[in-house]
Amino acid sequence: MLKSLVSPFRTTSGLARWILVTGLVITLIFMILAVFAPWIAPYDFNQQKIDGVKMPKMAPPSGDHWFGTNDQFYDILSRMVWGARTAVEVVALSVFFSIVVGVPLGLMVGFIGGWVDRVLVFLMDAMYAVPSLLLAIVFSFLLRGPLGGGVLAAALALTAIYIPQYFRVVRNTTVSAREATYVEAARAIGAKNTTIMGRYLFGNVIQSVPVIGTLNAADALSTLAALGFLGLGIQPNEASEWGYDLSRALDDASAGIWWTAFFPGMAIVLLVTGLTLVGEGLNETVNPVLRKRRLRKVQFPPNEPTTYLAEHDARRLAGGERGDQPKKESR
Amino acid sequence: MRWKLNRRRGLLALASAGLLVASLAACGGDSSDGNDGSSKGSGESWILGTTETVTAMDPAGSYDFGSWNMQYNIFEQLVSIPAGASDPQGDAAQSCEYDDPKTITCKLREGLKFSNGHELTSSDVKFSLERNIAIADPNGSSVLLGSITDATNPDKPVLADGAVETPDDTTVVFHLNKADTTFLKVLTSATASIVDEEVFPADKLLGDDEVVGSGPYKLSQYKPGEQAVLEANETYEGDRAPKSPQIFVQYFSDPAPLKQAVDSGQVDIAWRTLSPTDLNDLEKSDTVDVIKGEGSEFRYWVAQMANKVVGDTPQGKATRQAIAQIIDRDAIAKDSYDGTVKPAYSIVPPGFGGQKDSFEAKYGDPNVDAAKKLLTDAGVKTPVKLKLGYTPTHYGPNAVDEATQLAGQLNDSGLFDASTADAEWEEYQSLYKEGAYDLFILGWYPDFLDADNYLTPFIRDGGFYANHYSNPEVNKLLDQELAETDAAKREQIIGQLQDIVAEDVPLIPSWNGVNVAVANKDMEGVADTLDPTYIFRFWVISKKG
Amino acid sequence: MSAGSGSLPRYIVQRLLLIIPMIWVLLTIVFLLLRVAPGDPVSAAVGGKLSEDALDVRRHALGLDRPLYVQYLEYLWDVARLNFGQTISDNRPIIDIVRDNGGATLTLTLGAFVFALLIGVPLGLYAGRVRDSVADAVIRIFGVVTYAAPIFWTGLMLVILVAPLGWPTFDIASPITKFEVEPVTHIILLDAMIAGNGDAVVDVLQHHLLPCFTLGLLLCGVFIRLVRVNLLQTLKGDYVEAARARGIAEKYVIRRHAFRNALIPVITVLGLQVALTMSGAVLTERTFNWPGLGDTLIDYIIRRDYAAVQGLVTFFAIVVVIVSLVVDIVNAAIDPRVRY
Repeated sequence: MLKSLVSPFRTTSGLARWILVTGLVITLIFMILAVFAPWIAPYDFNQQKIDGVKMPKMAPPSGDHWFGTNDQFYDILSRMVWGARTAVEVVALSVFFSIVVGVPLGLMVGFIGGWVDRVLVFLMDAMYAVPSLLLAIVFSFLLRGPLGGGVLAAALALTAIYIPQYFRVVRNTTVSAREATYVEAARAIGAKNTTIMGRYLFGNVIQSVPVIGTLNAADALSTLAALGFLGLGIQPNEASEWGYDLSRALDDASAGIWWTAFFPGMAIVLLVTGLTLVGEGLNETVNPVLRKRRLRKVQFPPNEPTTYLAEHDARRLAGGERGDQPKKESR
Repeated sequence: MRWKLNRRRGLLALASAGLLVASLAACGGDSSDGNDGSSKGSGESWILGTTETVTAMDPAGSYDFGSWNMQYNIFEQLVSIPAGASDPQGDAAQSCEYDDPKTITCKLREGLKFSNGHELTSSDVKFSLERNIAIADPNGSSVLLGSITDATNPDKPVLADGAVETPDDTTVVFHLNKADTTFLKVLTSATASIVDEEVFPADKLLGDDEVVGSGPYKLSQYKPGEQAVLEANETYEGDRAPKSPQIFVQYFSDPAPLKQAVDSGQVDIAWRTLSPTDLNDLEKSDTVDVIKGEGSEFRYWVAQMANKVVGDTPQGKATRQAIAQIIDRDAIAKDSYDGTVKPAYSIVPPGFGGQKDSFEAKYGDPNVDAAKKLLTDAGVKTPVKLKLGYTPTHYGPNAVDEATQLAGQLNDSGLFDASTADAEWEEYQSLYKEGAYDLFILGWYPDFLDADNYLTPFIRDGGFYANHYSNPEVNKLLDQELAETDAAKREQIIGQLQDIVAEDVPLIPSWNGVNVAVANKDMEGVADTLDPTYIFRFWVISKKG
Repeated sequence: MSAGSGSLPRYIVQRLLLIIPMIWVLLTIVFLLLRVAPGDPVSAAVGGKLSEDALDVRRHALGLDRPLYVQYLEYLWDVARLNFGQTISDNRPIIDIVRDNGGATLTLTLGAFVFALLIGVPLGLYAGRVRDSVADAVIRIFGVVTYAAPIFWTGLMLVILVAPLGWPTFDIASPITKFEVEPVTHIILLDAMIAGNGDAVVDVLQHHLLPCFTLGLLLCGVFIRLVRVNLLQTLKGDYVEAARARGIAEKYVIRRHAFRNALIPVITVLGLQVALTMSGAVLTERTFNWPGLGDTLIDYIIRRDYAAVQGLVTFFAIVVVIVSLVVDIVNAAIDPRVRY
């Protein structure tokens, strides 16, 4: 276990490692802010008064309020720190839910095959054809009713748009692995389907999940901010959400008040960047083609189609994983 | 195999290079396009920017600001309310008078013509109302014409038999099915616009870009959601003579670009709706003026009296009164809206006949001790648990600030344990009707300028928002007020009703909006049109050449 | 879809036929989602004005009180006859919306691609060439950051920057241009060219610059990464090694062999970007008040205009499906290893 955690560092060098480490450090900082928010943030996320006295409105950064205050009498530093907690909660929940639903579903469907497979692939493809932001909007409408406007509703709305991605990747990997020799062998010695899926296929399939997971996390954060911009995200008195604070501050920016938009904006950019860097770093270690090896002189040509990575990359960014060519296990 | 592959790739690479060249060329055009940034408008045409939308240009198909404002400019009504006035005056009619509370007689001006040259007669007036009621468009406002509607068959409402008589080409007589002194005001609204019976179909809406009216302007182009172009109607001879030959209306879906547009001079006037921050910033600008007029927008907190805590009991009443005693409207206006709204102390906004600040008279300044006494006297156990509801986008992004602030005021008194909850507008409606909130915020714009438009829809048997408030005395007074043609007596009844509202507190007034426009310094006449009607009278506005 | 082999035309026909059930599934999903979500077009429009009874009358007039399956079947039947109907909230035929607003989205997207290619491809090639250098790191970080920055934020910053210069910051053309230019193709740039109105063309192009650049900035990160990765892969290719082995100078190797091949996948990936671009376009359109489909669609979603949302989402999906079909076909044509 420990070995597999360390392996990305061992197998990378130079810039790839640097990128991975930078991403991890940024992500880690935000994780710390999220976990220890109550101790780090000077004030509560919805605190407008100190000892019964209202904080100043839109005060510039100063000794009292390091990052200033915004037009809702909130301390921006506190909002930023608490916002890390909201972001991590929403993103972690949505990634968790989409993995919990998407991976087993893809695994089972890919293994069973037949019409269930075809129907589900078809359904997921249909979902994929709708721009993800639009899906998120509709789902947030749908979920805010029963769940209120909080973290859970936002996380589930995002979950709905990412399930198809995990499903596709896992299902494709499963389909290709199903015919692999070691699965055939397992079947030959009479292993049960559940055993094959659980023991043999799962371990194989799960490798691609961390890459998609981190990249999706970055994407989820952007989508959350976009929902906040459209007024469909999390309310300021329920939790601190950067996208909401940023959209409220857009008006200030043109009035020459820079600090209300700058800090939440920076927070979004930093965390999305951090997560993307981690994803890219992982991608380079998982995909041997990209890995820079120390012994480069003697080398066989890669036998993946060269377009695959490019497509994978773009498809990921385009909001879905649809590559028909399954990822091969690394040699 | 591999060789073939590579060759194919090579071919594609060539093709791709071609594509690149093509797109480079396209881009060259994109970036090297000179720097002629000046607009080409002649000195006199001008551009209005607004975030209001148009549902339909046809008067039978709309019940919203954006559409009505276009209709006020394109069509004539029998009567209209001149800028800054409160009583209807003749428009297409020379005069309209109540013969008794159930009868109105109108005399049309001679020689009225639509912009297509067709004559406008009393028959067009009847046709316009008849089709409006019969179409009963789901987006329409035929509900306002209830006093001349026969709704025996609710699926197929029709103009009541004999409700509109046209004894000759220039006379229209209305026979109302009940005493209704507000009906003359209804006739000033865009729903009563007069349309050409030779052009408009009787049973369905006319296409937006085909509408023809007799107002000061005619519609010469309409691109839904993008822009409308109005041109002066040369056949118009009434009092509303157009001052500009051509007006562009640009529609914005978001206030931020609108603010940028007016600030940088890309539109001449921005009217509805900029955020408080934007308005305060523009106040400091050298190139534009922020012009404010009296507004009639009304924001208020409704008590859901089906809920026990604020219910129809002595304790519930004391609780409602205590809230009215604690709410600090000045602080809300200042902190939540940056001072862009005015505190409201009555259900009827200032400027309406009979208006009085009943809440101020009864409760005075916010006072926690008085509130405490109210609660103690009624035997209410404090702190009182209270749930405040609001909706985050429908009433603008500042609604959450107001809700948070009111909850804070209540909690700071130590008498309440108030929390807030929110739902999107759709869900919100069903939630407040179901009693999910003890107190919920709503907003109102008048359909027509009459105090009754703030009374009957609100306090007769639970109002449109179904808060279960019902007071027989209120209902009786409402009937009286609707049947009273003597202005002074009517105003006195309206005053009485406001006092009862302050006593019973089925709702708590919060603030009144200001009718505000941002205009560049070349614009003239903007201030004149900013009155509580929220009619943007294009015809009084001009641009210095 | 990966089993068996067949001819290309047959594959195309198969895929085209699949579009029909795909649209059916989408329509069903959208139909259900909208009906399950609270609210309806009536309460969205006049819920704050009328009593519940009056609202019910309007719902009845629109047929919203009929059983769901009746509404559903009726809608399907209409769509089957290619009748997408009208919006509920402002009586616009759906076809008109697609026609009138589609052009703006199209030119915004194409313009954005132009910028993305112009910025992304050279940077990506350079980064790949100087792999692991400081420049490589800077370019990659640039690509990630432009992708990470919320587009409404980038857009506003650019607007604040250029608005004082008198540069147009919103909409696709100035009002006078829109008024003068006769719609022929409903793509205003083309219409202005057809009309031979030079000023209008310049005006339209000026209006395009900022939104296209903003969206292009978002997309260019994708191209940087893509081109860089492909260059790295090509540099490892045997023919490159062979060229090297033949003693050809590294400069030539890269220019002659690697660059060209590294750019091939860019073409195929262009199409796959459509869905991302659409999401980005929605926000760009809102930031710049661009009269495109994305902005229009959001308005209709807020108004719960079932007919409009169903129609427009279907249209979006058709575009995405067709583009990805074209991409797959191109892919298949280039690379025989992709079997159908």
